[in-house]
Amino acid sequence: MKIICYNDMEFVLDKTGSGWEITRKLPGGASAAVAAGLFADLPDSEAEARAEALVKTVFPVGIKSVGPDVAHPNMIGDLKIVGPDVSHPNFIYWNKDSTSFAK
Amino acid sequence: MEIKGSVALVTGGGNGIGEAVAKYLSKRGAKVAIVDMVQKNIDRVVKEIKEAGGEVIGVQANVTSEAETAKFIKATVEAFGKLNIAVCSAGIIRDSMLLTLDKETGKVARKMGLDKWQPVIDVNLTGTFLTLRDAAEAMVNGGWEGILVPISSVNKIGQIGQLNYSSTKVADALMPKIIIGEFLMRGIKNIRCVGIAPGYTATPMLTGMNQDALKAILEDVHIGRLVEPDEIAAMIGHCVENGALNATTIEITGGLCNSKGIAK
Repeated sequence: MKIICYNDMEFVLDKTGSGWEITRKLPGGASAAVAAGLFADLPDSEAEARAEALVKTVFPVGIKSVGPDVAHPNMIGDLKIVGPDVSHPNFIYWNKDSTSFAK
Repeated sequence: MEIKGSVALVTGGGNGIGEAVAKYLSKRGAKVAIVDMVQKNIDRVVKEIKEAGGEVIGVQANVTSEAETAKFIKATVEAFGKLNIAVCSAGIIRDSMLLTLDKETGKVARKMGLDKWQPVIDVNLTGTFLTLRDAAEAMVNGGWEGILVPISSVNKIGQIGQLNYSSTKVADALMPKIIIGEFLMRGIKNIRCVGIAPGYTATPMLTGMNQDALKAILEDVHIGRLVEPDEIAAMIGHCVENGALNATTIEITGGLCNSKGIAK
């Protein structure tokens, strides 16, 4: 049996007679089923690695933000990407954190 | 396609028709991914399939979310190495009349709100679309033989009080023809699509209803009883195995008739 802690959750990977079982520990000692009977024909190390990967797929963490792609041409399909007009008199280039200023 | 050795994904697999389909396919040797919103239902079905010696994963997910759909498709392929059968059983009802009149004035007192309309469209139509789309993508990219099974309803013909539900189910019934037509155009030969349109089925939603109302419903069913979820599951199993079934939606109603005796 192996316990993995991931994203503030605990998962139990347990090898049983019919393959690997994955459960998620819940508060109060209860548990929730994730999978049963998996990877029966795989070596233990490979089965464990695949079970861990499966846990991370079923319980993904966060969002990966991609972009903006500043090198992209102006047109994406029908959309025209319009950047800030830095020459506009009202444009303020702000690169200081507010804590930089004395109160 | 043989059920034994195949990999099935069943949305709404935590109860009702979805649960029956998941268990039916597992009993015949399929590896099964159950997707449901309710974890305790997933726990129960996973436990029962495990005790019967099946291979199963349970994924709590919302079929209306594109990201969560991608998640459960990926999890299925990671767990079992492929995907062959996608059954879209996740569905809800929010019955309401379009307009309700004030008995005294005859003016509109209430109208169907977006709270009744949108969730039904989201789950029954958008959810089915997302599951079918991403399952088909996986099957095409993986080169696996597959079948897509949207779940329609006999109420696709139009049920009073279900403008929302019937609208989604007629659309679901149409999907196999459009999808297979497109697959033909695109040269996609490894995937079939067959819809199932159940009649009144003995799911908790119906068996728990007012028994007098249930009795009135059964008077219009030729076999005199509700269709059992296992009978729907057996039909889906047949669709998997019979390679000639394609681009159509099959009704399984027990002979549901209008009150004057003409079959619906």
